Formats: sequence, structure tokens, C-alpha cells
Amino acid sequence: MSTTITLGPQQLGLEEPMYFRVEVDGEQVTNLDVIAGHAHRGMEHLVMKRNLYQNITLLERLCSLCSNSHPSTFCVAVEEIAGIVIPERAEYLRCIADEIKRISSHLFNCAVLGHIVGETALFRWVMELREIMQECKETIYGNRMDLAANCIGGVRYDLDAEYTDYLWQQLERMKAPLEALYQRYAEEGPLRQRTEGVGILTPEAARHYAVVGPVARASGIAGDVRRSAPYAAYDRLNLEVPLRQEGDVRARALVRLTEAQQSVGLIQQALKNLPAGPLCATRLPEIPAGEAISKSEAPRGELIYYLQTDGTEMPLRLKWRVPSYMNWEALKPMLIGGPVADIPLIVNSIDPCISCTDR
Amino acid sequence: MSDTSSHPLHLFRINAGSCNGCDVELTVTEAVERFDVATLGCHYADTPEQAQIFLITGPLTTRLRQEVLALYAAAPAPKVTVAVGACGASCGVFRDSYAVSGPLEKEITVDLNIPGCPPRPQALLDGIAAAVRLYRQRRGETLPPLASASDVAVPERLRGAPRFAAAACVGCRVCAHVCAGGAIRFDDKEEGVALTLWENSCTFCGLCAHYCPSGALTLSNDWRRTHPQSQSYQQTVHGEVPQSPCSDCDASFTAAPPELLRRALGGTAAPIEPLRQLCPDCRRRHNLTFATRGVKR
Ligand code: SF4
Ligand code: SF4
Repeated sequence: MSTTITLGPQQLGLEEPMYFRVEVDGEQVTNLDVIAGHAHRGMEHLVMKRNLYQNITLLERLCSLCSNSHPSTFCVAVEEIAGIVIPERAEYLRCIADEIKRISSHLFNCAVLGHIVGETALFRWVMELREIMQECKETIYGNRMDLAANCIGGVRYDLDAEYTDYLWQQLERMKAPLEALYQRYAEEGPLRQRTEGVGILTPEAARHYAVVGPVARASGIAGDVRRSAPYAAYDRLNLEVPLRQEGDVRARALVRLTEAQQSVGLIQQALKNLPAGPLCATRLPEIPAGEAISKSEAPRGELIYYLQTDGTEMPLRLKWRVPSYMNWEALKPMLIGGPVADIPLIVNSIDPCISCTDR
Repeated sequence: MSDTSSHPLHLFRINAGSCNGCDVELTVTEAVERFDVATLGCHYADTPEQAQIFLITGPLTTRLRQEVLALYAAAPAPKVTVAVGACGASCGVFRDSYAVSGPLEKEITVDLNIPGCPPRPQALLDGIAAAVRLYRQRRGETLPPLASASDVAVPERLRGAPRFAAAACVGCRVCAHVCAGGAIRFDDKEEGVALTLWENSCTFCGLCAHYCPSGALTLSNDWRRTHPQSQSYQQTVHGEVPQSPCSDCDASFTAAPPELLRRALGGTAAPIEPLRQLCPDCRRRHNLTFATRGVKR
């Protein structure tokens, strides 16, 4: 006998208002539907009522976990339309901001995993570790979530010798704990038992659903915009894309933890090679009529912006494809046929972002 | 009476369609030891029925409105409601959308605002401490001393309360132009132009300060901004940009502040000072005479 239940943020241990209608037969999931739209703020409408400058701040609040990816990808689209080439120093500084956000975002997801499997001590430990990055963000950018790092034509923050040194030291502090954390998720033990073989997305299914980001890379698909279509300074940074084949909850966690470690390395590379020069190419440039598509690798995967301008400061059109949208549908093959009790764990493993998807 | 001041109070969080920034930071207040609400004698409740203090984030999306109101109504009085972040106070950057039903105060009685976008955990604790005091007051309880968030080493770059130095303002209004929250307004008056910045709409993004050509608008690192909702519209930064009479024709105008000239020209040379006191028309006339001196017509 099959019944239908509704699961919300309370049951799923999520920070965001995400709801599912789940059909169950006994303890088994037989079908599910995502009930979307709760965090819908009418972003597509709002961005057209704000000028290009106001949109920098508005877009940073499209989602706070990948908040740097949004304004920086938006600025790239504006710069492309206006033919603005940003200074090299700004390219490096954009990468640094992106990677700091990636570490924080991945660690948050990894902490919540601990919470869901009932390992409260692990949850707290990861959140404490994440605090190092939170403090870095507040010290360098002035806020722990929204960095305000970007402007049209470059960046609006700088790292002098003192801040560079500070950031370097904090990254050093991350290294051993991040390695220990990886081991903790990889090694034999209850955590592995709880995550291995759970919520499998085969490489074929991954391709079929066109998933992106760590979800794709944990199912053997080696896509990463930072490498396939480098922006900012990524073509000058050495980046290895982690890849796993298992496609389960554990693989997705391990991909994120490897990426967090790599982000530490990427920031250090950028700091070492940070070229001197201006931070921004222009002040209040005229933006001609035109259209552009820009892409970036947000913490959850490929983020696409489409911008159309008409020569005024108000955008004619602004559209997105956010990574969570692609990964969302793939919850079906991950969940159907599995036990109801695994739902929170599997949902968390795609690191869904509702505020991005609902907008 | 069982409920004494030593009894822990329960907090209940409602996400009313936020960008998740405030919510992620609220998670920190149950996960990170030095920011733990337990230091204030509080705990997070699983259901609204158990809670005395409500922390509401997000601009109140139309889609979530009913549900938020139902959760809120489920708790018995007395309760204290805290609007967390710019969204809770004014819908922040999301105002004027068909999909947003906020600000919250339209629907329920809001007691306190914690400004920020998102507020730092210290500010959240500060606001929760204020909520605890208010609750105890309402119950007629004696007030136990509360540990307040430590204020050691506030980062120099922390983006906090805006400051406005009217004397340095050139009246270009670029700050109002770039502000996503519509927090800044200019009013033209006889004596000059006045700037008002409503802090409850401010996200502390610093874009105004970034584009301000003369450094008149800046962000301080003052983060302790919790205030009663009743004072929300008095939380403003205000300044009148003075006009002065032209030294030649007496018409009033806004003279270029020395700071702007210093930035634009790398310091003011003495000969510029008399020019600075001329209105644009007289300055043009003066410059033309100066440039054509000795030119035969
Ligand atoms: S106040 Fe700012 S950080 Fe908080 S939910 Fe609103 S936009 Fe996000
Ligand atoms: S910091 Fe300035 S630009 Fe940003 S929201 Fe506040 S007033 Fe507006």
C-alpha cells in the first residue's frame, strides 16, 4: 500500500524551506516530487527594476552560500558587453574570493552531513573549523557571508602585505584539520557505513540528468568550468579536478573535501603570484546595448548568466541557470527504491540551494 | 510559579524566504561554542509551541506568508519577536517585488530588529540577549545579568553602521544611485541638499562608499545595532550639504569640498581656493577671461 507524505525543512534538517511530496510503500520510497517556490522573491522581476550597479548587491543576495559567484559572474557579463578588460590583479583577487567561499560552503555541507547522521561532535567540529574561513572573510572583506568583493571592471578590495600574510597563515591552519576531516570521512567506521552505497547516481544517470559540480564529479563526470572555460585567473592556476566513480553520498562528500583542500592550495598559488597593479579598470562606465553569457564554477557547480542590455543602466533581461536546478531532478534515481530514513542524508548530499533555485 | 529567571528560554527560527545568509549564521549560534546561545541561557526549540522568542529571517515571501503566520500563531503569549537582518526589518534588497509580502511588521508585532546582511554572530547574540531581557520584563521577572558578546578586536574593515560627513559631500547622488536597498534619499531644500540614509534598509554592502567620490559616505565598524522595532524609522544617518554664496554674484551653490579636490588633483594649490568659492557660472566667466587674456580680437 502506498501513501504520500510531505517532508519539510524540519524533517530534513535543512536551513531552507524545501518541501517534498514523497510516495512511500512501507519503508521504501516509490516516487517523489519537489514542491518548489517557497523562497521565490521574484528575482527576475527585481533585477529589471534595479540598475546594473544596484544589481551587484542584489545578486550577492540571490544565495548567500555561493554569494560571490553571483556578482562576479554578473560583472563578467557586463564587462563582456562593454568590452572592459579587468586588471590582472583583479582577476587573481576574484579567484581568491571565490575559493574562500567554496571552502566555507563545502564545509557547511559537510557539517550538516554530520548532524544528519547524528554525529553531533563532528558537526560542531566542522563548524568550528569553518570559523577560520568565516573570520578571514570578516577580516578581509568586512562580512562573514557577503564579501562585496566585486564591481564592474574589477574588484573593490585589496590585499596588502599584512592581509596577504594573515590569509596565508589562516590557510596554513586549515591544512591539517582538512586532511584529518577527509580521513574521517574516508576511513572504515560508522560514518562510512552510513554513507557508502547510499543514494547512488550512476555515471549514465548523471549524464542523463546533466548534473553539475561535485554531484557530477562524484559520478565520474569530470566537468569543471574553472578548467573547461577558465575565467578570472583560473587559466594561470594549477587545478586538479577530483573525480570519483562511486556516485554515492560518501563520494560526494569526499569530492567536496578534496576540493576544499585544493581551494586552500589555489588561494596560496594566487597569493604567491598576485600581480601588482590597479584593482579596477573603470569607475562608472557606459554600458552599450548588447548581450552576453558568462559562466563560472560555483560551489555547487556550473552557474550560467545571460544578460541583455539596451544602452541604459537598467538591464533588459537577466536570466540564470543555477547548479542546484540541474542536480535537483537527479534526486529521483538517488532516492527511489531506497529507505525513507535516508531521505535527509541523500538530499543533503546534493547540497541543494533553495534560494538560488526558487529565486 | 515554575518559570523563574533561571529557566532557559526557547528560541524558534523561521525562515521566511531568506537568501540563507541569516540562517547559516544562526546555525553558528548553536554549533560554535563561543557564539552558542546556551551562553545566554537559551536553547533552540523543535516546535513553535515550546518557544518564547521567535527569530524570523527573510523578506516574508508571498508563498510562505500563511505558513509563517501559522507557526507564529502556534506559540502562546507572551512571546518576543525578532526580525533578523535587513530583510526582516524592511525586506532589504528584495523590497518592491510581487512575490514578497513583507515587511514582517505588516503582519505580526515585531519587537526587535537586528540589522545586518547578514548580522555577525556577535550581533545575533546581542539581539537575542535583548530579546531575553524583554521577555523577562514582560513576565515581570527580575533581570539576571547577561553575558554580552565580547567586543575584542573588531576587524577594521568590518562593514557596519554608515557615517556621513556632510561637509565633504559634493551632492552627486551616486550613492543613492547604486544602493540596491533604496536606503538613501536626497531632499532638495532652500538651504541646500539633505541626505537621509535609513539603516533598516541598509545591507552594509559599502557600494555607496565605494563610489562616493569625496569620501563623504563611509562605513564604520560599529556592529551593535539592535534596536526596538518602534525605533526602526529613527535609525537614520542624516546630513545637510551646505550651500554657500558665490564670492562674486552671491548665488548659493555647493562648493567642491577640499577632499574632492585633494583626490582629484592630488592636493589643492593655493590659486584654486578663490575659484572654489565661485559658482559654476562665475567660474566659467572667470576662466574664459583668464584663458583669453592677451588674445587679440
Ligand atoms: S538580511 Fe541579507 S543575509 Fe539576511 S536573509 Fe536577507 S538578504 Fe540574506
Ligand atoms: S551600504 Fe550604502 S549602498 Fe549598501 S545598502 Fe547601505 S546605504 Fe545602500
